Amino acid sequence: MKILLLGALVLLMGTTSFAQNKFTVSGTVKSASKGETIIGATVSAGANHVTRTNEYGFYSLTLPEGTYPLVISSVSFTAYSDSLNLRKNTVVNIDLLDAEQTLEEVVISSTASNRRSLGSPQMGMEKISPQDIKNVPVLLGEKDAIKVLQLLPGIKSAGEGNSGMYVRGGAADQNLILLDEATVYNASHLLGFFSTFNSDAVKDIAVYKAGMPAQYGGRLSSVLDIKMNDGNNQDFNVSGGVGLISAKLNVEGPIQKGKSSFLVSGRRTYADMFLKLSNDSSINTNQLYFYDFNAKMNYQLGEKDRLYISGYLGNDHLGVGDLFGLDWGNTTGTLRWNHIFNNKLFSNTSLIYSNYKYKIGINSGADIFDIFSNIRDYNLKQEFQWYLNNKNSLRFGLNSTYHTIRPGEVTSPDSSSVNDKLMQKRYSLDNAVFATNTWKASDKFSLTYGLRLSAFSILGEGDFYNIDGEGKVLDTVHYKSGEVVKTYLNLEPRLAASYQFNNSSSVKASYVRNTQNLHLIANSTSSTPTDKWVASTNIIKPEISDQFSLGYYKDLRDGLYELNVETYYKTMQNQIDYRDGADVYNGNNAIESELLFGKGRAYGVEWLLRKRTGRLSGWISYTLSKTERQINGINNGDWYNARQDRTHDIAIVAMYQLNKKWTLSANWVYYTGDAVTFPAGKYIIDDQTTYYYTERNGYRMPNYHRLDLGATMQLKQRKRWSSELTFSLYNAYGRENAYTIEFQDSKDDPNKTVANQLAIFKFIPSVSYNFKFK
Amino acid sequence: MRNIILYIIILTAGVLCSCEKEIDVKLQGAAKKYVIEAVVTDKAGGCRVLISQTKDFNEDNTPITVSGARVQIGTGDSSVMLVENTPGVYESSALKGIPGTTYNLQVNIESETFTARSTMPSLVKMDSLYITEEMFFGDKYKLPTISYMDPVGALNFYRFMVYVNGTKKKQIFAFNDELTDGNRNATRLFVDVDQDDVEDEEKIKTGDLVKVEMLTIDAPIYKYFFSLENSATGDSNSATPANPVSNIQGGALGYFSVHTLQSMEVRVP
Repeated sequence: MKILLLGALVLLMGTTSFAQNKFTVSGTVKSASKGETIIGATVSAGANHVTRTNEYGFYSLTLPEGTYPLVISSVSFTAYSDSLNLRKNTVVNIDLLDAEQTLEEVVISSTASNRRSLGSPQMGMEKISPQDIKNVPVLLGEKDAIKVLQLLPGIKSAGEGNSGMYVRGGAADQNLILLDEATVYNASHLLGFFSTFNSDAVKDIAVYKAGMPAQYGGRLSSVLDIKMNDGNNQDFNVSGGVGLISAKLNVEGPIQKGKSSFLVSGRRTYADMFLKLSNDSSINTNQLYFYDFNAKMNYQLGEKDRLYISGYLGNDHLGVGDLFGLDWGNTTGTLRWNHIFNNKLFSNTSLIYSNYKYKIGINSGADIFDIFSNIRDYNLKQEFQWYLNNKNSLRFGLNSTYHTIRPGEVTSPDSSSVNDKLMQKRYSLDNAVFATNTWKASDKFSLTYGLRLSAFSILGEGDFYNIDGEGKVLDTVHYKSGEVVKTYLNLEPRLAASYQFNNSSSVKASYVRNTQNLHLIANSTSSTPTDKWVASTNIIKPEISDQFSLGYYKDLRDGLYELNVETYYKTMQNQIDYRDGADVYNGNNAIESELLFGKGRAYGVEWLLRKRTGRLSGWISYTLSKTERQINGINNGDWYNARQDRTHDIAIVAMYQLNKKWTLSANWVYYTGDAVTFPAGKYIIDDQTTYYYTERNGYRMPNYHRLDLGATMQLKQRKRWSSELTFSLYNAYGRENAYTIEFQDSKDDPNKTVANQLAIFKFIPSVSYNFKFK
Repeated sequence: MRNIILYIIILTAGVLCSCEKEIDVKLQGAAKKYVIEAVVTDKAGGCRVLISQTKDFNEDNTPITVSGARVQIGTGDSSVMLVENTPGVYESSALKGIPGTTYNLQVNIESETFTARSTMPSLVKMDSLYITEEMFFGDKYKLPTISYMDPVGALNFYRFMVYVNGTKKKQIFAFNDELTDGNRNATRLFVDVDQDDVEDEEKIKTGDLVKVEMLTIDAPIYKYFFSLENSATGDSNSATPANPVSNIQGGALGYFSVHTLQSMEVRVP
């Protein structure tokens, strides 16, 4: 299959690559004011020769000899246009001027970084712009890219104020979250209320719900690819902000002007100080904060080489007096080398490190101990982009990651009643090769076909088990260090096609298979930092998803509005859940004995109507969907609604630029309540009311809806100094949305039972002050 | 521990809004199921089996007792028939469990048969009961603390029951020795901590008489109470709600526990 496809690939390219008198124009597109490379800028040499810059700002167009109108444009930049006389291979590096610097009148904000491309086969992909992140009102004023993504169709929030997301029926761990290519294993802060991405340091955010390009792999339901700013290589810049719960500072500037730059960005919350304001002693002794740092440097090493070093460090702390402490955080580092071999061949080599850890400390009487767990990756990625000719652009490479998982070891002082418990580490090698070609078959029809071959090898040293249907360990096999326990090979085809009817509408279709070998085993109702990551074993099989997707795209009123409708059907194999009564914290090496395996399916339709330009911008999104699971041992083996199954999900986002000083914004969300398990009856055990359950997730939480309002006031601007105030009101009409529903004996009449609903956020105002100095 | 994390979320968010209210949830109800709570201890008169049926959520909490059942408990060689002294309560004054022995329960209700097995573990001596204090969420709690020496090697499982001035606390305390094997334990029972709606006057205070019963239980019973506490108490914060993992075969709810029982009392200083 693979050989056939590769053969076909070579044949296809062979038919088109011997044309005569063709030359290539290539180059890098950057921002003139900052020197940042621009991702996804449109480069066109006439209507039939259009390309976009890659993730490092590089483009390459091969055209017959001739004269062309060369236009290079990107949102919030002034377009560059010139006449290109192509008589030989030419390099055109362009620095685009900021749009704001050239317009005298009110800047009409544009809500998205890039218009989606009607002609490109890529579908199921959304980008959000810094403006969206800046203007959409959020909880406690803490700007958050993921919260904005959750307002798009097919992407659902993991709950009230939560930065976790469910994409097209996938679970929260089925999103591949990349920060400068490094995997972020837990993208949340403060128990999920905020994400790890400091919006000040973020340059580009793309989320793929379907049609993931072959260079991405390892998670079932989505890819969230976040790229950090490179740092301004023209001028020093200091910006920062002070909000209700956090303060942040961002410093960037040239190391050698025009050639190299740095960026350092930091953020610290002071939620615990906020807690201290409370008179309630049950609150003010708790500790709760996080901080994070982003840093990046880049060097231009001559015309053809560029080096980037970037890193992230984040940490959360939660404490209850001396009794209990929980620390968790991610560390990532990426070293990248871009090399332009020639005007058609671009290469990137990355060395990536990622580490997620948590530590629990308990100090209760004689029970004194720590539990430590981490997952650490070393990753090498080599990728080539080959702009073969004006019909084919090829991308291929390989990726090799070594994972080490430490599942939660217990250490204690001698005086403690608790013994040390060192559990076996788990090792695995995650290899993949991939190739993909985008073939522009005609003016109307384009096809992307690719293949990813993944090989996941589980390595010793360690004990592996055979278990029976009841979860009992039958025998244990010991593997020596470096010995291969098992290798899972998976072929993942990635296909996408587009047909453009005219310059305002197109249809696209895609099929993608994804596999996942690292699984987050969560106990379903909500995720916590201590949920377990486990790798596939001889018993835990790779999760596999197959997704078919079909979409229709239309520009209305000359592109003032755009309408997207996408539908999908997805199947998932080897889904994992805990057995009833599983001991999640057990110190057992054989976690498999606590697990059940089954399958899932998800389907739905997503509508998005968007207005990108003008004083009023924003979008309306609506998702109609269904997500189910079937696991033998749960719900009598019948299909049941997944927790994240929400039939209807609506979001309306509006931003309005009133004048130079004021920008107003609002968003409203409505969704069907999550599927939950409620009791069918009750009985008494040990003199206590105990609830009787008959079906999994057979009920619904109450429907959720909420309106948030926001306003940004631009304060007086000086030459080197600008600042603004941002106001927001979360849950503006004070809807009491259910956070939990508990069943308990009535306080008033202990012989009765009642259902109590708890709502946690109602009318939450915030104000923050942001400044920029250059 | 998960509960601690969620409790903190709620407490913290409580600064912003603590909007708790009773709501009306339409629950469909289900066909009635038998509930068997069967206990044998190492003390005479400790053998008791309660049989009842499930009720709908909107009914009151008084159990529907089941009379006329045939209840037998025995070892392989011999068995005793329990006597229904009060409706739904079946007892045997003579049956006294012996550590290391496995007992079989058989219950016949009309045409249905339910069976279970449980083994009485060895006794682990309860050495002392005293009160320790701990600040928890800013409040001082008086915690009953039990000292005992866990035997080396064997897997041991414990359950505790707390009575304050004669009233039983509605909390489940079940532990294993996975992390404390072979050590001297001073197990603290977090009575009233992390419980909703406990008024100050209900908390343990100076002068109260605290009685603690210590049970050694077998592994399936530990699993039963562990899963009951985690998923069937109606608390939506913990694991996905589910029925506890029962050791009764035949489709009844409940458990059959053969355990040792010791008890101590302390006046709270």
